[in-house]
Amino acid sequence: MNEHRKKTFVVTRFDPDKDQVPKTQTYEIPVRPEWKVLDALNFIKDEVDATLSHRWSCRMAVCGSCGMMVNGEPKLTCSTALSDYGDVVEISPLSNFPVIRDLVVEMDGFMEKFKSVKPWIIRAKEKAPEEGTYRQSPEELDAFKQFSMCINCMLCYAACPVVAQEPDFLGPAAAALGHRYNMDSRDEGADERNQVFRGDGTIFGCSYANECSEVCPKNVDPAAAINQAKLLAVVDWAKGLVLPHKGGK
Amino acid sequence: MAQPAHPHAMAPSRPGRTRTAPPMKPGTWPTSPRYLTYLAFDFTGLVYLLVGLVALRAAWALGSGPEAWARLQAQFANPLYVAFHALTLAAVIFVGVRFFRLFPKAQPARIGPAKPPPRPVLHAMLYAAWIGITAGLVAVLGGIIP
Amino acid sequence: MKHLLLKLEPIIWLLFGGGILVGTLLLPGYLLTVGLAGPLGWLPEDALSWERLHGMVSHPIGGLLFRVVLLALIALPLWKGAHHLRHFLIDMGGGARDAAVAPLLYLVAAAGSLAAIAAVVRL
Repeated sequence: MNEHRKKTFVVTRFDPDKDQVPKTQTYEIPVRPEWKVLDALNFIKDEVDATLSHRWSCRMAVCGSCGMMVNGEPKLTCSTALSDYGDVVEISPLSNFPVIRDLVVEMDGFMEKFKSVKPWIIRAKEKAPEEGTYRQSPEELDAFKQFSMCINCMLCYAACPVVAQEPDFLGPAAAALGHRYNMDSRDEGADERNQVFRGDGTIFGCSYANECSEVCPKNVDPAAAINQAKLLAVVDWAKGLVLPHKGGK
Repeated sequence: MAQPAHPHAMAPSRPGRTRTAPPMKPGTWPTSPRYLTYLAFDFTGLVYLLVGLVALRAAWALGSGPEAWARLQAQFANPLYVAFHALTLAAVIFVGVRFFRLFPKAQPARIGPAKPPPRPVLHAMLYAAWIGITAGLVAVLGGIIP
Repeated sequence: MKHLLLKLEPIIWLLFGGGILVGTLLLPGYLLTVGLAGPLGWLPEDALSWERLHGMVSHPIGGLLFRVVLLALIALPLWKGAHHLRHFLIDMGGGARDAAVAPLLYLVAAAGSLAAIAAVVRL
């Protein structure tokens, strides 16, 4: 039994070669009850309007590609049920990002902030292979594991009011990832990262909106990470007042 | 209708190959319940600033002798001051509830050898301190303890 | 100015954190009595009288505690207030003016804190 009802999708369109500003285009399509928003977008592109551009990949909330605003809220469209919405669904590109085309946003700014926190193990000296592996207890893993679950979907950047207003702000995901490495028992790079945390992108710009953690699809809780990082950066600063700084350039 | 975000929000350091549309804030800003609550939270800054200055005035009056203090007490009895203090109390409770919810998760798993108590325990400790300190202050200032 | 604000950030954050934690813990007791119950006549006649409060201030240990608590109650909320108000103004679109507004707000908090020290010393 084919259950088809129709829903109307108001989708933001922007072609940099033709449009001065983004506009919306309305599509009325039959939808299946079990569909996600992404299924509707793919139907539109496949059957109605091949010019629609949108990012997606894994369809199971691990790649982070399909982040968009659905009725004004940042969502992974592959995991957002159409049945949660009424007859009219508004889809627009992720907020707070420049838009390349239609629903595709410019990610390079995010990648730069990401790289600036040096998201890799920093050690003064690597262990020689003969010495064996780095050992890490379950408790040591627990200190950072949650923050390693980030899929870089950028929903947190779309939700954060500080990202909207402060172009230099590192933002939730970058700060959480930097903190993830600072809390990793194998890492020795906290000094370097804390300098980034207190630089132009200062994590102290975070004003406790907690929106990042509200919208995160992987329960990373970036708000917890960034606020833990603030305390650790201050402890680091206080130690620096008393002791000469070790390492860190 | 979504408002524009900062024109350079999330901008890359070098422009891309094509012209981009400017970043926009979410359509739900600022009127969604969560955003409004957040703005109210930030706005309590003004309330705290004012209550600090008013308390400063009270402290100054207390140190200026009985007549100054009596004048201050008379002013505090003015309905506008009473309303201000009542609103401030509401704001402080709002801040406390929101902050106490955040505080436990803002503690790192460890700082050196020190580890925080489990989050629910820390949450309960904050409320216990809040109630205890308030009761103590009321007892002392309220004349229950001579 | 932006560079100076970044350098001072840990101190400001500590004062802000203190303001939110200690200020929020202390303020309800003070507000319930000095702000509400006292002016509304719900307390015993002499509870907030100058003589009784001055007596507390003069006590060797109690007086010191009184001064410290009063200082915390005045100064710390000022820092919480300045910092939060600064962020409120940024959220309302005032990011460009932040370099000018933030120092003013923190100066108010600093001046108020110094005045608070003077106020509790002269009690």
